[in-house]
Amino acid sequence: MIFPKWTNSLPLVLGAIAALAGAGVAAGVTFYLTPKYTRAGYQPVQPVPFSHKIHAGQLGLDCRYCHNAVEKSWFANLPGASTCMNCHNQVLKDDPRLQIVRDSASNNVPVPWIQVHKTPDYVYFNHSVHVRRGISCVECHGRVDQMEEVRHVKSFSMSFCLDCHRDPAAAIRPVDKVTKLDWQWSTNADEAAKLQDVNGKKFVHDWKVESLQSCSACHR
Amino acid sequence: MNSNPTNSTPANGRRYWRSLDELADTPEFKDWLHREFPSGASEMVEDGSSRRHFLKIMSASFALAGVATLGAGCRRPEEKLVPYGKQPENYTYGESQYFATAMPTRTGAIPLVVKSYEGRPVKIEGNALFPGSNGSTDRYAQASILDLYDPDRARHFKHDGKEVSREEALGFLDELSKKFAANSGEGLSFLAESSTSPSRARLQKIIAQKFPQSKWFNYDAIDSRIHSRAAGFAFWPNDQGAIRVARPVFHFDKAKVILSLDCDFLGGEDDAHNHIQKFAAGRKAGEGMSRLYSVESLFTLTGANADHRLRVAASMVGQIAETISAYCQPHPVPAPTTFESKWAHECANDLLKFGKDALVIAGQRQPLEVHLLAHAINSALGAVGHTIEFFGTPNDYSAFDSYNPDWAHLNSDGFDALVILGGNPKYVLNGLPKAKTTIRLGYYEDETAEQSDWRFPATHYLESWGDAKTSDGTLVPIQPLIQPLFGGITELEFLARIAGESQTSAYEIVQETFWYAAYPEVPILNRIPVSSVDNFHTHSESWKKFLFNGFLEGSAPKLATLPNDQFMVTPKLASVSTSTKDNLEVVFFRDAKVDDGRYANNGWMQELPDPVTKMTWDNAVLISRKTARELGVANGDLVEITLNGRKVVGPIWTQPGMADYSLGLALGYGREKVGRVGNGVGFNAYKIFSGKYIETGATIRKTGETHTLACTQHHWSMEGRPAVREANLEEFIKEPMFAQEKFHGVEPPIVQSLYPNPLDEAKKTALHQWGMTVDLNACVGCGTCIVACQSENNIPIVGKDQVLRGREMHWMRVDRYFTSNPAKRNDASIFSMKSDINQTDENQQFAEWIDDVQAVNQPMMCQMCETAPCENVCPVAATVHDQEGLNVMAYNRCIGTRYCSNNCPYKVRRFNYLDFNKRPLTELKGPIYSTTLTHKTEGVPDILRWWKDPNSGMRTEDEWDLIKLSKNPDVTVRMRGVMEKCTYCTQRIEHAKIAQKAKAGASDNVRLSEAAGTVPKTACQQACPAGAIVFGDVSDADSAVSKLKLLPQNYSVLGDLLTKPRTTYLARIRNPNPAMPDYQHEPFSTEEYESHSLTKKGNS
Repeated sequence: MIFPKWTNSLPLVLGAIAALAGAGVAAGVTFYLTPKYTRAGYQPVQPVPFSHKIHAGQLGLDCRYCHNAVEKSWFANLPGASTCMNCHNQVLKDDPRLQIVRDSASNNVPVPWIQVHKTPDYVYFNHSVHVRRGISCVECHGRVDQMEEVRHVKSFSMSFCLDCHRDPAAAIRPVDKVTKLDWQWSTNADEAAKLQDVNGKKFVHDWKVESLQSCSACHR
Repeated sequence: MNSNPTNSTPANGRRYWRSLDELADTPEFKDWLHREFPSGASEMVEDGSSRRHFLKIMSASFALAGVATLGAGCRRPEEKLVPYGKQPENYTYGESQYFATAMPTRTGAIPLVVKSYEGRPVKIEGNALFPGSNGSTDRYAQASILDLYDPDRARHFKHDGKEVSREEALGFLDELSKKFAANSGEGLSFLAESSTSPSRARLQKIIAQKFPQSKWFNYDAIDSRIHSRAAGFAFWPNDQGAIRVARPVFHFDKAKVILSLDCDFLGGEDDAHNHIQKFAAGRKAGEGMSRLYSVESLFTLTGANADHRLRVAASMVGQIAETISAYCQPHPVPAPTTFESKWAHECANDLLKFGKDALVIAGQRQPLEVHLLAHAINSALGAVGHTIEFFGTPNDYSAFDSYNPDWAHLNSDGFDALVILGGNPKYVLNGLPKAKTTIRLGYYEDETAEQSDWRFPATHYLESWGDAKTSDGTLVPIQPLIQPLFGGITELEFLARIAGESQTSAYEIVQETFWYAAYPEVPILNRIPVSSVDNFHTHSESWKKFLFNGFLEGSAPKLATLPNDQFMVTPKLASVSTSTKDNLEVVFFRDAKVDDGRYANNGWMQELPDPVTKMTWDNAVLISRKTARELGVANGDLVEITLNGRKVVGPIWTQPGMADYSLGLALGYGREKVGRVGNGVGFNAYKIFSGKYIETGATIRKTGETHTLACTQHHWSMEGRPAVREANLEEFIKEPMFAQEKFHGVEPPIVQSLYPNPLDEAKKTALHQWGMTVDLNACVGCGTCIVACQSENNIPIVGKDQVLRGREMHWMRVDRYFTSNPAKRNDASIFSMKSDINQTDENQQFAEWIDDVQAVNQPMMCQMCETAPCENVCPVAATVHDQEGLNVMAYNRCIGTRYCSNNCPYKVRRFNYLDFNKRPLTELKGPIYSTTLTHKTEGVPDILRWWKDPNSGMRTEDEWDLIKLSKNPDVTVRMRGVMEKCTYCTQRIEHAKIAQKAKAGASDNVRLSEAAGTVPKTACQQACPAGAIVFGDVSDADSAVSKLKLLPQNYSVLGDLLTKPRTTYLARIRNPNPAMPDYQHEPFSTEEYESHSLTKKGNS
């Protein structure tokens, strides 16, 4: 006997190991190399410890006070330091944490904010058409009003976009509620879902919402 | 004007490894670097255990680093968002802004609206607000934006070849001014390019007053002022000894018959885009369309669009003009005997028939006598004041001597100081006048700069304050869109400093000139209207309006209507010798691409196929077939031309329709010192040019060497396919549906499609259906659309070597076909192998049929077929239809099989064989196959550069930084291995749709409509001077494109393939005169097509 008896099960064992390894690699790739991992969860430390929780949440500032181009442009801009200084020349005017902002406003040197949300260069996402047609900030950015430091919560993968473009009725809301991140149709979850379904379909029909799925909608 | 964004840090960093770079700057790292060994390393020797400890730590940290890389390394690199410190007013981040400005030309200016994205100009369009403008431009204006981002621009102030500071250089000008103020300008001279700037004219006057002994010369290699001189000469001769000038205004739209005496008003003449617009307006297919006669030697765009073209040597044009003039006079003349005189006779009869509705125009290269003959004919016909009008120009650019290119009288003692403003005299005049100090303001470090003691870098017009007057005399502002990229100096500031003015800011100078022009009655003091104290607001509002509109309303001078009998000069023609093969005539002409050489370093222009020869990256010695045969030369043979003892060597190109014994030489090539793109391209015809555009007495000698010419179209004939369909006017009136009925290439009826087209379903719900028409009757083939498309769509330059391989990337091309009289062919049938027309590409140059040809132009781009053949064969569905009928390309999906391109019957798809955006400019001309592994850029191995910045490729840092600025941010920049094609400017469509939807908000008003002006224009459509391209919504019955598609002459190219193209063409209508000796009852292309189909019928 050349081979010992245990070799009889060797192909089976090897096969099982290979299958396990393969599944592991597949699971690893799907998890680690997709936007769900590479993007969602990204939370860089910003040069200025700006808290959306305080400004948008507690103080209730409208998103558009600072991101004022969001309704006019593809880009939801960051405010110039002069916008910050509208309040902060009164409030916390000597706070060392705001030194960069004060310098920026007086010397016109930009604050080097770190970009959190980004679509790839070949995707031409446009903010204005979404927010003015009833898609809330919260759909893509999550509850920013509850974030101390902004965190990337959604994957921003192509399927993330398509999910909504295939069923816009599930996300669309009255235009004046777009920047109210905590807004619900109803406090009752079941009823909210029902109202969303009914009204969503109505909006999509009445406003002729196309929610295009053709390549040219995003890629040019 | 809004303030420019002044970000000191780029908005999106390209240094992907920024974090490591930054790490390298931390004190800890530096500390670690500066110590000879890392901490703990010194302990290794003494103590084994600490060594083991060290290794343990090291391996652990490596493992950790690996894990960290797995996590962090997959994340995209950190990028910064840099907002303004001070938020500017009226500025929306991410939205383009548009500013009115103008591009100065030699004899006018083109009013423009320039798109600016985040403070950088990205696209040039014509100013549609300007009276009479349709918002079009010419190809030079479209391409001029690339010059702004040219890495070879002059960037430094230099003295004796060494860099000096700006302050030092300006200090020198102040000294110069003081020095010559002391001796009233003795020995000071200026040599300038022509300009229409009233501010410059004002400074010129100040200089003349301050330095009365100084001399000012204007010199242009391409001098179009002959038109003004001739008009002045003809109608105001010698007014008290001073020659008056009058600017002619040609109404090509009003004229019913136009005779061009070697005048390429649609191509090489100044202001061609205006002429094209008017000409196209007068040539609407149908009753009353104009007729064009052309007498010329070169085959020009004007000749290509003429109904009758007489091919004669340029030096003989005067005699033809004289004959026509004689036949137009009442006194008896001999009956015509020769073909030419018959032609002239019938042409004259036609001119007389239309009388004041006729127009005769002589070309810029023709001598004064021919221009006077043209005016004599116009005068005799009563056309003056009707189809041709004049306005007196207040000696803006004639009071100062025109420079005499004969340097001899100047070179004797030379000048103290010679100031050269723009231009390139060393190159165009083969030498500079003698001067102790030469001071040069120029855009490039070129041939002239090399010989200048002081060099001042000039600003681009998009960086300068200035002003100009358009060809109708309207004052237009030139306002900057960007701070000078390399800190150059404007012409106005330069002159103001020499003049010793206290105010040297170009902005102030322009504003002051504006006050003079806008309020001639109000005295101006200290640069503010004096009476303005109470109503200064109104004045400053009018200045703002001037900048906003881009022109000063009502500033065009009144047209002077002349009594016809005021024509006073009877011209006397100089006798010319008939050219023969040993006494060749040479015609020098302005190149359709590089102009007089100023665009030689512009890659878009170098790669633009010449409108007639379709040649890129070269000029050639244009010659007729017969002459080439007699001289024994063929295409590509290098020949030496000798003219007046001077010699130049260039390659031969047989040009169909050229006059015999005439050589056509394009000026502007063979630059030695211009930059990475233009150096050594073509040959320098200035070497034998002496200021006369037509000269006889040249001989040529074969050198025995050859040169490869890169043409984008080798097929001269349509080979019997009805791609372009034509008819004569009478036939069109009788049979309006000819384009569909006469040619078999009509769509066969579909009974029932076997497979339903998904687009038919999508059409039901889509908001729009896009379509286009191209009017071949309006298109003259100028090529502006090609450059506009290149600029809008980030189309790369590929270089001569790649064009030779057929890899040019232009999304749209203008196909130019030559058609001939079947009677002149060996075998009239087009499908016979014996037929001349079926010769191989190389042999066509010897075929007799090319002598007398008709030419047709056809813009060709993606036809957006509803049943697109390219889509069926794509294995990855990278090219698919969207619901609005666009055949879209998803670049990210494309894997580069090129099946789509193979299956496209129109051959409009373009493949990125190489990473064209990353190839350095120096590699555009030759076949260089360097790889990242072996190649070094700026001394650094490319592999290392790739590690630092994976995007820059082999481009040097300056090229890379500038090319990024020049790109349109709305269009993806494609990489190697990706197919691309015309998109109908999908970015503009999407932009318009998004704007409309955002405006609609919670309503259903989301459809774009032409009535509301919300339908976008494609780049080609917007740039087209003729208005030949119309794009729009074909599902809207009221749109212009829908109406055009209902016209009887509308047809699809290759419609018989059932591709159902969304782009259709309007057939071309010729309007020949039946009385002419060269009358054809059908256009040649139709005869060609019929000879083909007859053969086929005979065979079957």
